Amino acid sequence: MRSRLLFGVMAGVVCLATGTLLAQDAPRLRGPEPFTREQPAPPLPRPITNDVRIRRNYPDQPPVIPHSIEGYALDLNANKCMSCHARRFTEQSQAPMISVTHYQDREGNTLGGLAPRRYACLACHVSQTEARPLVENRFTDMDALTEPERQPGGRSNR
Amino acid sequence: MSGAEDASPPTGSGKAEVPPRKPGPIRRLWNWFWRLKLVRVATSPATGFSLAFLTLGGFVAGVIFWGGFNTVLEATNQPEFCISCHEMRSNVFEELQGTIHFTNRSGVRAGCPDCHVPHEWTRKIARKMQASQEVWGHIFGTISTRDAFLDLRRHLAEREWARMQANDSLECRNCHSAVSMDISKQNPRAAAAHERFLFTGERTCIDCHKGIAHRLPDMTGVPGWQ
Amino acid sequence: MELSRRDMMKAQAAAAAAAAANVTLPAQAQNIQLGEELRLKWDKAPCRFCGTGCGVMVGVKDGRVVATHGDMRAEVNRGLNCVKGYFLSKIMYGADRLTRPLMRMRNGRFDKEGELQPVSWDQAFDTMAAYWKRVLKEKGPEAVGMFGSGQWTLWEGYAASKLMRAGFRSNNLDPNARHCMASAAVAFIRTFGMDEPMGCYDDFEHADAFVLWGSNMAEMHPILWTRVTDRRLSAEHVRIHTLSTYEHRTTDLSDAAVIFKPGSDLAILNYIANHIIRSGAVNREFVEKHVNFRLANTDIGYGLRPEHVLEQRAQHANDAQVSQPADFDAYARLVSEYTLDRAYELSGVPKPQLEALAKLYADPNTKVMSLWTMGFNQHVRGVWANHMVYNLHLLTGKISEPGNSPFSLTGQPSACGTAREVGTFSHRLPADMLVANPEHRKHAEHLWKLPDGLLPGKIGFHAVEQDRMLKDGKLNAYWIMCNNNLQTAPNTGNETYPGYRNPQNLIVCSDPYPTVTTMAADIVLPTAMWVEKEGAYGNAERRTHFWHQLVDAPGEARSDLWQLMEFSKRFTTDEVWPAEILARAPEYRGKTLHDVLFRNGQVDRFPLAEMAPGYENRESKEMGFYVQKGLFEEYAAFGRGHGHDLAPFDTYHEVRGLRWPVVDGKETRWRYREGLDPYVEKGTGIQFYGNPDKRANIMGAPYEPPAEAPDAEYDLWLVTGRVLEHWHSGSMTLRVPELYKAFPGAVLFMHPEDAQKRGLRRGQEVRIASRRGEIRSRVETRGRNKVPRGVVFVPFFDASQLINKVTLDATDPISKQSDFKKCAVKVVAATTQAAAP
Repeated sequence: MRSRLLFGVMAGVVCLATGTLLAQDAPRLRGPEPFTREQPAPPLPRPITNDVRIRRNYPDQPPVIPHSIEGYALDLNANKCMSCHARRFTEQSQAPMISVTHYQDREGNTLGGLAPRRYACLACHVSQTEARPLVENRFTDMDALTEPERQPGGRSNR
Repeated sequence: MSGAEDASPPTGSGKAEVPPRKPGPIRRLWNWFWRLKLVRVATSPATGFSLAFLTLGGFVAGVIFWGGFNTVLEATNQPEFCISCHEMRSNVFEELQGTIHFTNRSGVRAGCPDCHVPHEWTRKIARKMQASQEVWGHIFGTISTRDAFLDLRRHLAEREWARMQANDSLECRNCHSAVSMDISKQNPRAAAAHERFLFTGERTCIDCHKGIAHRLPDMTGVPGWQ
Repeated sequence: MELSRRDMMKAQAAAAAAAAANVTLPAQAQNIQLGEELRLKWDKAPCRFCGTGCGVMVGVKDGRVVATHGDMRAEVNRGLNCVKGYFLSKIMYGADRLTRPLMRMRNGRFDKEGELQPVSWDQAFDTMAAYWKRVLKEKGPEAVGMFGSGQWTLWEGYAASKLMRAGFRSNNLDPNARHCMASAAVAFIRTFGMDEPMGCYDDFEHADAFVLWGSNMAEMHPILWTRVTDRRLSAEHVRIHTLSTYEHRTTDLSDAAVIFKPGSDLAILNYIANHIIRSGAVNREFVEKHVNFRLANTDIGYGLRPEHVLEQRAQHANDAQVSQPADFDAYARLVSEYTLDRAYELSGVPKPQLEALAKLYADPNTKVMSLWTMGFNQHVRGVWANHMVYNLHLLTGKISEPGNSPFSLTGQPSACGTAREVGTFSHRLPADMLVANPEHRKHAEHLWKLPDGLLPGKIGFHAVEQDRMLKDGKLNAYWIMCNNNLQTAPNTGNETYPGYRNPQNLIVCSDPYPTVTTMAADIVLPTAMWVEKEGAYGNAERRTHFWHQLVDAPGEARSDLWQLMEFSKRFTTDEVWPAEILARAPEYRGKTLHDVLFRNGQVDRFPLAEMAPGYENRESKEMGFYVQKGLFEEYAAFGRGHGHDLAPFDTYHEVRGLRWPVVDGKETRWRYREGLDPYVEKGTGIQFYGNPDKRANIMGAPYEPPAEAPDAEYDLWLVTGRVLEHWHSGSMTLRVPELYKAFPGAVLFMHPEDAQKRGLRRGQEVRIASRRGEIRSRVETRGRNKVPRGVVFVPFFDASQLINKVTLDATDPISKQSDFKKCAVKVVAATTQAAAP
C-alpha cells in the first residue's frame, strides 16, 4: 500500500515537473515502475490505410505513407512503390509522383527516371499505425509562428 | 465387351492383291498378348457368377477404384504433399508463410492447390498431368538449390501468370468473386482500382496482384513494373 | 470578410509596429506570407543519430527549429537523410523534456529512498559533491566512476576525461561505445597500431563487390546503404553479399543472402583465408613487405564474472589479449582446418554460396569493400572476427586504396570522435594513447600542464564491469551522461539495476528526457541536446564536423559540458589530490579542479570575442571564455604531428567536415598508401606506420563457440538489435509522433513454423524467457525481418519490453564488449506462467 502510494506520488511529481503524459503510456518511454515489475505487451496496432494525405511538418519532410505496404516487394527484382508512384503510372494509379529530387544522382544531374540512390523508398518514407503518440510533441510549424490562428491545432502537434 | 479376343492377325482382308506381309514386331507383341491364357479368360464372358453379383461387384469395385483415385488425387492436392518436396518447401512455401494468404484475420488459409490447381474436374486432371513434369524435375534435381530456383523464378512465375491470365484469374475468383465484393468495405484506393479495372473487365486479378503470395522474380519488362 | 476581435487586435498591433518602422502594410492580410516573415535562418549541423555523420541543414525561426533537410553540400549524404534524420526538427520538443534538476527527497533532504523532486542546480551539485568527496576520502578514486557516450560532443568527452582522470584521478570512465564498437577499436590497434579505418566512404563508389558481415545497413546506416545501392544499380558488374543470422531489408537488396548459424562467421572467415591460400591468391609481395603474422591465445573465456564456470574452465581467460609471433606457414596451418566441408558443417551455409564469397576475395581483379557493425562487434569473439576480415584483405593486399577497403561502420554519431579519438574508454587517452603506458601519461600530464605522476596508470572499470562493481558496492559515486544504460546494458535485471538501487551508491543521470535510467537514478540533471549547444562529432570515416548553438535549451537544462565544468568548481586540489603530489607541486595548492583543468592558460585562452557573431553560446558566456575552442585546440595538440592532425578550430565551422589527418589544409581519404597519405614515406608504397615496424598484423585465431547456445529447454537463439525508425533506446525518436506511429513497440520476430510449433500466432502475447529473466512481447511472423527456424529477433528500443532483462552479460574477453546477438531463450504464450529463475 505504502509503495503504491509512493509510486503514485512519484509519478505525479514527475509528470508535473516534466509535462503531460498519461500514466498507462509512461512505461513505453520510461520503463516499468518499478523497474522489476512485469509489463504486459499491448496488442499490435493496426496500420493506417485510409489514403488520406497527412500534412508535412515542413516542406522537406518526406511524406508518410497513408496506406498499407505489407508484402510490397522492395528488392533487387522489383520495386512495388514505383508501380504506382513512377511518373508514367501516376495517371492510372492517381498516386502522387515521386518528387523531382528523386531524379537527381549524387552529383546533382537530373536523370531520366528514379535515381538509383533513391531506390530504397522505405529509408525515408514510413507507413503509420493507429498507435496514439505517447506524449505530446510541441514542435512548432513555421506557419504557426507567423500566424498561429491559421493552424487548426494551434502550437501543438498531433 | 467387344469381341476383340477373336481378332485374328489382319492378313490381307480387303487388299488381297497386295502380297501378304510379315507382321511387324508391334503386331507380333499384340498377338502374343491376346493369346495369353489369362487374358483370354479375363476377356471371355463370365459363366459362374450371377448378373446381380457382377453388377454389384462391378459397382463396388468401381467405387473402391474411383474412391482410391480420388483419395490419391485429394492427397496430392494438399499443401502437405506439395511441400514434401524440398523445392517447394524451402522456396515457395517458405515465402508463402509470411503472407496474408497464410495467416489472416479470419483464419481462412489458401494452401498451394487453392491457387495453383483448378477446382473444376477436367482442368484439375489436366493440371495434374502437367504436374508429372514437376515430378520429373524433382527426380532429376532441376531445382536442387536455392540459386537454381532463383534462376528459374521468372520462367516459373511467367507460366503461372500466363495460366491465370488465360483463365481470367479463375483460382483467385474461387474465393474473391467480383460480384460478391462490397467496395465500401475496401480502402478507397482498392475500391477505385476495382471499380475502374476489375468490374469493367479491363484487367484480371493477376494483372495487378502479382507477388502477393511469393516473392517476385526480376520484373524487368513486365507491364506495370519498372 | 469578417474579422474576429483577435484578428483586429493583431492587425492593429501589426499596423502600429509598421508605423513605428515607417513602412506600410497592405490593407488586408494575404493568405500567403511574404517577405521577412518567410525567412528562416539556415545553418549546418551533423545528424544527431548514427555514425554515418550525415549533414543536415537546420532552419530556425523565433528561437525554434522549424525545419530540417539533408545538406546538399555535405559529401556524406548529398542532400539525403533517413527518416530519423528528416524528423530531427522534432526530437527536442517532446512535452516531457526535463527542465529542472530532480533529486530523491524525503522531508526536504536527499534520501535515496525518497521521491524525485525538483531542486536547484546548486542543491543537486552540492549533494553530489559532498557524496563524491566522502567516497574519494573513504574509498579512494576507484570508487567513483562515470559512464559516458559516443553521443557526447568532442569537448564534452574531453572535459569528462580530464575531470575523471586528472581531477578525480580515476580511469573508471567508459562510454556506451563499449557496447557498440570496442571490438573494432581494439582490433584496429592490434592490427595497425592505430585506430579507425584506412579508407573512407569514397570507397563506395569504387568497389566492385560489397560484403556485409553482420550489418543490416538498410536499417542501421540507411544513407550509406543508398550509396551502396546506388553503386550496385548503376554499375552492372557490382555485387552485394550479405552475411547475417536472419534475412532483413539489406538481404532484400543483396545478390546473395548468406544466412549462417550464430557465431559461425569465424569459421566462414577462416575458410575464405584458407581458400585464398590454397588457390594461390595470396599477394606474396605485399605480405612479405607489409605484414607480420601472429597467433592469438585461444580458449579465452567469455568475459563473464570471474567465478562463472565458463571462466574457471577457460585456459586463457586472464590473458586473452596475448598473442605470439608466428609466420605464414603457422597461420596457413591454422586456417587449413577450415575446409569448405568444415565451414559448411559449422555455418549451415550452402557450399556454392561459401565458394562464391571466397572467390570474391581471392580474385585480384575484384575490388572488395567489407563492411561490418554490431554483428561482428557484439560478439564474444568480436576482436577475432575483426582480425579475420583484415586477414583476408591483408593476404590479398586489398587495402588502403579506392574500393579495396575493410570498413568498420560505427553505431554512434561520435563513437570515433569522442569515444575513440578523444579517448573516453577506461584504458585510453587522446590520440590512441594508453593509460597503462607511463610515457603516454607523462605526455598527457605535460600537455595538460599538470604535475608529474598525477594520472593513474591502472585501467579503469569497463562498462559491464562498472555495473558489476556498482552491484558489489565497490563503485559508489556514479554519473551517467548521454545514455540510457539501464535499458541498453546486458542482463540489466541482475547486473545493472541492483547496482543503481544499492543503498551504498549515489547514481546521477544527465538526460534531456525521463528514461528508464533516470527513473532509477537518485539525481537527474536536465540536459541540453544537439543544436542547443555548440558541438563537434567525429564520424566513421574520420570526419570531424562542427555545429553552432542554434536554439536555447528549455528551462534550466544545460549541456553536459557546462555540467562537467561547473561541477569541477566544487572541488579543490587539496581535497582530491594526494598530499605527496601537491608537496612536489605546491603551485597547484588551493586551486579548484576547474582552475587547474579548464583555466590552465590553454583552455581559457580564446576570448568570447572570437565566437562567431550571431550565435548563442551559453557555456562560453557563463565561463567567460570560448570554452569549445579552448578545449578543442588543447585536445588537437595531442594528435598534430602524430598522424591524427586536426585542422584549426574555425575551419570546421566553415566546411562540411574534414577527414583526419588534415595536413597542410588537406584531408586524407586513404591512409597508409604513398601518394594518398602524407605520413607515408616516399618510395615505400605502403606503410602501416601505427606500428613501429610499419607492418600490419595478420592474427590467426580459431572458431570458438558462443557462451550460450540453445538447448532442450531454452531452445531458441535470441538476437537483439535496432529498427530504422528508432535511435537506440528510443528516448528521442519515440517522442516524434511520426516515428512512434511507424514502429510503436517492440515485437518478437519469429519464424511462422516456430510459432505454429508452440501454438502461437501473429500478434499473440508471449513471454520471452532466459536463465536471467523474462519479458512479455507480441509475435510477429511477417514484416521486415525474416528469421530462420530456431532464431528470434527483438529490438531493444521499447522501454516497456526490456529485452536486456533477458540477454546475457558475456563479453568479448579482449575488447570487453557485450554480445547482444547470441543467447538462449524460450518463448511461450503469455497465458502460460513461464518459470524464470
